[in-house]
Amino acid sequence: MDKATVIIMMVVIVTLPIIMTPVLMYVCRFSDRLRNGLAVLTAATTFILTLMLYPFIRDGGVIQQSIFEILPDLEISIHLDILSFSLAALSSFVWLLCAIYSIDYMAKEHACSRYYPVLIFTLGACQGIFFAGDLFSLFVFFELMSIIAYILIIHEQTEEALKAGYKYLVMTIIGGLALFFGVIIIFEIGGTVSLGVGVIVSESSMLGLVAFICFLIGFGMKAGMFPLHVWLPDAHPVAPSPASALLSGIMLKTGAYGLFRVFFHVFSVDLLRSSGWNVILAVLAVITILLGSAVALTQSDIKRRLAYSSISQLGYILLGLSILNFNAITGATFHIFSHAFMKSTLFLAAGAIIWKTGIRNVNEMKGLGRLMPVTMGCFSLAALAMIGIPPLNGFLSKWTLALGALDAGLPGYVLVLLISSLLNALYYLPIIIPAFFEHPEGEENSHEGDDEKHEVQFKIKEATPLMLSAIAILALCTIIFGLTPNNIVFSLSRLTAQYLLGGGSF
Amino acid sequence: MFAVAPEHLPDLSRVYYSSLPLWITLLPLLVGTGLYFFKSGADTLRKVISLLASLSALVGVIMLLPMVLSGTVLYDLVDFMQMGLFFEVDLVGWIFAFLIAFIWFLATLFSFVYMDFEHNRRRYYSVLIITLGAMLGIVLAGDFFTLFLFFELMTLSSFILVIHEQNREAMQAGLLYLYLGIAGGLALLFAIMMLYSATGTVDITPVLENLGPNRTAIYVLFLIGFGVKAGLVPLHIWLPQAHPVAPSPASALLSGIMIKAGAYGILRVSLVLYSSTGEISTADTAYLFNLGSVLMWIGIITMLSGAIMALLQGNMKRILAYSSVSQIGYIATGFGAAVFMGTEGAMGFAGSMYHIINHAFFKAGLFMMVGTIYMYTHELELSRLGGMLKKMPFVGATFIIAACGIAGIPGFNGYPSKTLIHDALLIAIKYNDLFSIELAEKIFTLTSALTICYFIKLFRGVFLGPVPEKLDRSYKLALSTKIVLSTFAAIIIAIGLFPNYILERFLVLPSEVLKYEGYAMDHLYHFNFFEWHPLEAMLIVVILALVIYVPGLYRNWFNWQPPPWLSIYALLYRPLTNRLMILTCKAGLVLDSTVDSVYNQSGNAARNVCDFVGNVDHGLDSFYKKWGLIGSKLAESSKDMDEKLDKLYQRSGKAARKLADKSADMDSALDKAYKKTGKAAQNLAKHSNDLDKALNVAYDKAGKKTRDEVEKHLAGKNKKQDKDESDKWTTKNLSFDNLLLVLVLGIVLIVIFYFGRSS
Repeated sequence: MDKATVIIMMVVIVTLPIIMTPVLMYVCRFSDRLRNGLAVLTAATTFILTLMLYPFIRDGGVIQQSIFEILPDLEISIHLDILSFSLAALSSFVWLLCAIYSIDYMAKEHACSRYYPVLIFTLGACQGIFFAGDLFSLFVFFELMSIIAYILIIHEQTEEALKAGYKYLVMTIIGGLALFFGVIIIFEIGGTVSLGVGVIVSESSMLGLVAFICFLIGFGMKAGMFPLHVWLPDAHPVAPSPASALLSGIMLKTGAYGLFRVFFHVFSVDLLRSSGWNVILAVLAVITILLGSAVALTQSDIKRRLAYSSISQLGYILLGLSILNFNAITGATFHIFSHAFMKSTLFLAAGAIIWKTGIRNVNEMKGLGRLMPVTMGCFSLAALAMIGIPPLNGFLSKWTLALGALDAGLPGYVLVLLISSLLNALYYLPIIIPAFFEHPEGEENSHEGDDEKHEVQFKIKEATPLMLSAIAILALCTIIFGLTPNNIVFSLSRLTAQYLLGGGSF
Repeated sequence: MFAVAPEHLPDLSRVYYSSLPLWITLLPLLVGTGLYFFKSGADTLRKVISLLASLSALVGVIMLLPMVLSGTVLYDLVDFMQMGLFFEVDLVGWIFAFLIAFIWFLATLFSFVYMDFEHNRRRYYSVLIITLGAMLGIVLAGDFFTLFLFFELMTLSSFILVIHEQNREAMQAGLLYLYLGIAGGLALLFAIMMLYSATGTVDITPVLENLGPNRTAIYVLFLIGFGVKAGLVPLHIWLPQAHPVAPSPASALLSGIMIKAGAYGILRVSLVLYSSTGEISTADTAYLFNLGSVLMWIGIITMLSGAIMALLQGNMKRILAYSSVSQIGYIATGFGAAVFMGTEGAMGFAGSMYHIINHAFFKAGLFMMVGTIYMYTHELELSRLGGMLKKMPFVGATFIIAACGIAGIPGFNGYPSKTLIHDALLIAIKYNDLFSIELAEKIFTLTSALTICYFIKLFRGVFLGPVPEKLDRSYKLALSTKIVLSTFAAIIIAIGLFPNYILERFLVLPSEVLKYEGYAMDHLYHFNFFEWHPLEAMLIVVILALVIYVPGLYRNWFNWQPPPWLSIYALLYRPLTNRLMILTCKAGLVLDSTVDSVYNQSGNAARNVCDFVGNVDHGLDSFYKKWGLIGSKLAESSKDMDEKLDKLYQRSGKAARKLADKSADMDSALDKAYKKTGKAAQNLAKHSNDLDKALNVAYDKAGKKTRDEVEKHLAGKNKKQDKDESDKWTTKNLSFDNLLLVLVLGIVLIVIFYFGRSS
């Protein structure tokens, strides 16, 4: 595939969803079915186009291309390497499944004509973040996605949602400003903000540290890093479930992605290692992990519990990033994938439960496994992956991350990961065990009766097949990308780590 | 001197590559999963399939034997989970695998009748067979990574067996089991990762030299990880809760087999991983001595506390569960002795291995016998049972055999293994004359005596005495139950009568693989279990047991219930977990809400600042307004003054005019007066002409002068009044706008001046 085609494809990937947004808004007037179909089609096209970049990536291709100039020296440009590709493919995949899931889930909801265009628009902005070729373009798309996602968060328009949305908005703006400041400082130091020049800052300076901290605030805010996580446990639960899945599964990762770029393309790895700036991130990540897990334990609203769990899981990624060696980076990248699959499954399954039964409190979920076996089965699978039970993908990412920590001579981090795993077990198992092995309130465990009655009776009241298929595909990913020998996601992660540690660019 | 004759050394160096270990593991896993989706209704078919699955696993294991006796079987499934699945079967692993497959087969057979009284059989059979696969995977695994995978699978699947009843008690016990299992699994994982990081391999090979500075930490983590499963004190607390609540065949497997997964792990770590291929340095020997002593003492404590607790229980299955804890203590003691004896450790190793085999048979057998009684009576409490020997003589007979086995009566299988472990301690005393080991030996004897005591208690409670009225009916045992129970009894007696067969055929060989030598090894070859020395030790145990039991019975020692606060759960676990939970949750919550409130407060503070600035702005505005008002008032008052002045001037002008008028009047009056006087004078002059004319001229002159003066004065007054009129507009037109304009201008000037200077 030649370079020009790739560039055109990338531009299409970013612009197609954005162009489709007004189209969707227009189509809403005529037919709901057409609108839903078009939304799924757009997501699918984006996904397929993104996948078509794979041959180019496989051959080690990297692209840096300016598109147009806004101000002198500030341009919108695109950049493609294995990290961009991995995340773009992941996000469009999860987006596609969430769009499919939305069709039935949102059928009961109001204001769908607002929901779908926004959903598709954020996809475009998200792809834009991953394909951005310089910090300025990255910033533009980052802000675009963050601000527009506000509409997804406040979709319910309840008082609670508006309050959470307001918090989100304020934090986003603070983060955006910090980010912008960081970009300006980098431009001041290096004279360029392009990601294609390898490393921009390679000498330690006070200004550099300020820029680093600005990036940490800007991207860390999005990634739910302590102490900037406060918006997350409010915003994720109030959004509609497919939007929560995207917020937790993908949009948080844009923050992590930004930090990846900052760590490897803006500052040199040697600088970070020698100046010890990465320790700032490591400390925050450790606090994030423990805090997220501990607080999740005390939440009884299932979506809030999942949101806090997201905070802790994002901490894993940040911790892996801060360790800065091959295994840790592989683990962090792989955990981006793992967490996307696991948490999207959990949020979509929780959404299906809420949609079907209205139960949000985890203590009321006794016997749900017999009511919704597929949903609860997928939920359990993803929860076990979260705990790190082999052979699911969560185990593999924890294993790799822990090896990275041990390679760096930091067994304390492994202890943190394991304590968090234990806490994960403590807050996920009390959901899934009663769901399968206990009886709903007011129903007695009968041992008497004939042969047939000895067996557990399933009174199946499942969600719709479309919703189930989305959940099941994501849940399958947790198994497939855990145990298969030819694990494409793991090899992508490994190649990414190699590429990133190999000096930024080929 | 004690060198082993060369012909004893078999060639174990051959390496076979075979996928058989994989299939042995995989087949039960697949069949088990399939069984779950096999819809209910065809119970018999389900039983046959599960029996066939366990039978085929058994056949597969037996097929491995010829290969294992002359080498190792390897199989590598590359890249599974990136680390690869690696199987390596040697004789030690094979012995475990055989025990597992064989007893599983019997337990499956036993389940047929037992489970007919239970609900949810589909899940039970499915999970039973899956757990078999996981167990086989653990012992056939060639590296710790593979072992860990199956270990976790076993924890999860056996959890479902434990909570099968799904009542409150079972759920509680099951959750305790699961959480401890997961915590243990994480400790194990940590240990494996540290091992991998230190040595670059997870293979089960001797790596003592390469372990680095963390080797004690790694060992402790391994010990915790496997110790939870094995039930070492103080990690045993799940065991006496979980084993009794499971269905009896599952209890038999849990107690007889699954705790051996932990023992197997301890064996692999202590005797293989923590050993060296070459010469062991003096420092390392001392290190291993300490390690072994610790393990041995953990074993001793476990065996004693398990036995005491078993003696105090009133529930059949709980007695057996605590007995399992105690027996695991024997096994750990033997391994500990083997570790600290170094190359002389053959006796401890062989004894513990032997005890693993024996315990599997008698404990699984005992659980099934007790299970048979429960199956027909639905009673577990000793106080509500009795006289079963008359009602179920067959069960009674097999129970006596199994109890003799566990008590270590010569002629039954417990005797040779206990003797070997005891001898290991005696040899240890011989080599290192330490008080601690002598004490350990004394506790060993005491525990063996207590074992006999609690089995007498159990036997009396269940089989002797009057039959409770409720249970007074005739019982007919199913054929499969009889087959299973008699198989156990037969094996127990067979091993007891011919103890050297297993010792020579299976245990000496792995002892040689582990490079044991010297006196102990030599002794092992020619061990005679039926000479006076070991029999004497056993006799002492029996006498001691009677000495304890008889007074204990009369003084009612064995029904003493320890106060709840004395339990290890209350002493250690509850405070530990409570504190930990409170610590983590509270700390997390407090931190989280603090951060949140910091944001809210800083937001509020920012708003307050904004409010303040807004107030200042407003104040400035009103300040201007106020000053504007003052200005306009000032202007108004100045206008008033102006008017007043105006009036004043006007008044003074009027006054002046009046004055002028008056002076004019006066003038004219004067004029008149003068005229009058002139007339008079004229009249006079008429009389005197000359004088008259002169006088007239003089007076005219004087009158003119005065008029000039008055006119001059008036003109000056008018001039002054005009001047006042032209000054008037400056104060009268000064309004508020002008003031503001000036103020603004001033501020602008100040600003320009200030900034001009600063820039």
